[in-house]
Amino acid sequence: MKWKEFFNGIKKGQKAFGEDIAQIVNLIVLSVVYIIGIGITSLIAKIVGKHFLELNMDKNKKSYWEELQLGIGKKEEYYRQF
Amino acid sequence: MYILGISCFYHDASAALLKDGKVVAAAQEERFTRKKHDISFPYKAIEFCLKSRNITIKDIDYIGFYEKPLLKFERMLHQHLEMFPKSYKSFIRNIPVWFIEKLRVLKFIRKIGYTKSVFFVHHHIAHAASFLMSPFEKSAIVSVDGVGEWTTTAYGYGEKNKIMLQKEIQFPHSLGLLYSAITAYLGFTVNNSEYKIMGLSAYGNMNKKTNPYYEKLKQVIDVKEDGSYRLDMDYFVYHYRNKMPSEKLCSLLGGNIKKPYEELTQRHKDIAAALQLVIEEIIMKIVNFLYKETKSENLILSGGVALNSVCNGKILRNTPFKKIWIQPDPGDGGTSLGAAQYVYNTILGNKRNYVLENAYLGPVYSDEEIKNFLDKNNIKYFVFKNSRDLVKKTAQLIFDDKVIGWFQGKMEWGPRALGARSILANPCNPNAQALLNEKVKHREKFRPFAPVVCEEDAMKYFECDDPLPLPTDFMLMVYPVKKEWRKKIPSVVHVDGSGRLQTISKEQNSLYYSLIKEFGEISKIPMLINTSFNIRGEPIVCTPYDAYSCMMGTEIDYLVIGNFLISRKENIGNAWNSERYARD
Repeated sequence: MKWKEFFNGIKKGQKAFGEDIAQIVNLIVLSVVYIIGIGITSLIAKIVGKHFLELNMDKNKKSYWEELQLGIGKKEEYYRQF
Repeated sequence: MYILGISCFYHDASAALLKDGKVVAAAQEERFTRKKHDISFPYKAIEFCLKSRNITIKDIDYIGFYEKPLLKFERMLHQHLEMFPKSYKSFIRNIPVWFIEKLRVLKFIRKIGYTKSVFFVHHHIAHAASFLMSPFEKSAIVSVDGVGEWTTTAYGYGEKNKIMLQKEIQFPHSLGLLYSAITAYLGFTVNNSEYKIMGLSAYGNMNKKTNPYYEKLKQVIDVKEDGSYRLDMDYFVYHYRNKMPSEKLCSLLGGNIKKPYEELTQRHKDIAAALQLVIEEIIMKIVNFLYKETKSENLILSGGVALNSVCNGKILRNTPFKKIWIQPDPGDGGTSLGAAQYVYNTILGNKRNYVLENAYLGPVYSDEEIKNFLDKNNIKYFVFKNSRDLVKKTAQLIFDDKVIGWFQGKMEWGPRALGARSILANPCNPNAQALLNEKVKHREKFRPFAPVVCEEDAMKYFECDDPLPLPTDFMLMVYPVKKEWRKKIPSVVHVDGSGRLQTISKEQNSLYYSLIKEFGEISKIPMLINTSFNIRGEPIVCTPYDAYSCMMGTEIDYLVIGNFLISRKENIGNAWNSERYARD
């Protein structure tokens, strides 16, 4: 019984260690993706004046409504996740 | 033909089942997992839907999913691209969930053994599809919530089995997120406590001229005459952080974000009132503009903002619309139903053949199942001779100021208890509100309780729209209580003299209807307090075990479950204190 508890304890410890390592690897990989992927694209976009979100108000605009026209799609379009 | 609708991974996961275009079962996952607002894949809700018809997943012909996950992912990437490097923390925290769950919807669906077609319906279409189960042949539609894929607000129209959303406002400009940001600022939990801010607003200054926060909040948002709007994003950080108000918003409103343990002051109440005023003003503008655009006299309101029953109650009086309809769950929980209905009627082109007339779509337990549960757990109970006996005895107990847990028939669909999983009490008892808030629900003192009346009595007690709008059946409209009745039903009158009434007809729920009438015979006022059968922070009860456990953990005096009456006193050995488990 004691041996079983001992090995269970080792298994739990290994699992916790594995999770910690996975978190560290995740953090490193995601940081690299963020800095290289998002960062460089974002910098280039800023240089060429491209915006990904419309953040500003425009007091001179008459309306903020934008065209949507949603609901005319063909059946095939609904198979897509985009 | 069976169609299953699914919503999950954002707010309130749920599943809904249609048979030949008619809703036969629907429930939120939280009721089964007992985790409030559970967002996980709705395995248990799906299992319930299938079991309710004695079918398996192989019998399902189509599945409708409530959004387009890749469009949402695109929006999220755009947020990070725009907000680099401020969004670093949010990126690290949120991205893994996308790869583990949100982008693997199909894998989850295949894992339950389903191999046929899955249709991905746009989020706001899934909201707007409540039109397809409404009584209207043709209607204007408006959908307002936090955010779907990109859209936060959309309008359009529905005709027969077609829906068209014509115009939109896109993220980050969102009325739902504005409401949530102020909810967070006032120290309440986002995506959960927005309705508390609505209740709190009645304690604040509702005069636009004298409430200083009204003008301040108007600086945060630019609203055009047609109701379209944009937020000044300097006041918010939700587009790049897992927080909502910015420091600039805190200084505008004159203080830091309220800590949950801090006392609510008049300033907080005035801010809640100002927010309600701003939201109402914008909704009225949108709805008035929508009328000009569509010329329809019918209005479908959908999206989480349609849970703002104070605003809903003012729409018909302040716009040219003659009729309004809101499904029992207009928020994200309700989109599984919308997605399924849209698949049947619009994508597959079937004629409409269903109107959602009541919200009783959830699990039901027979008297035999309930008796087995009671006997197995040695619970002392009394058996009613018949339903007449049940109604008479229960009405008398309520008249004697006892608090009743009412567990009857199929569980309700949506966030409101509507007489299947309800706590009932005497509205004429001036102490009932304090008793229910403190000892039963363990919730904030300022929160009001809702009255339920029979349909034909509503006009007598409330200054309702005439004819009575259908959403009152789902407790989605707030109206002023007539002055002459306010002192006679003190426990259901909010501080501003209003009440969030539920109306009930005999056809919808004859037992509940008879109980209200019987109580009226004894008290001369056919009205009850109806509040959800749960303690604060818990989902509404679903099973006999949940109901019994809730009664024994609170000061509910009796549980009327199926044909059985259970007294808390007689089973006091099973009592426990639920107060420390009450969460926000």
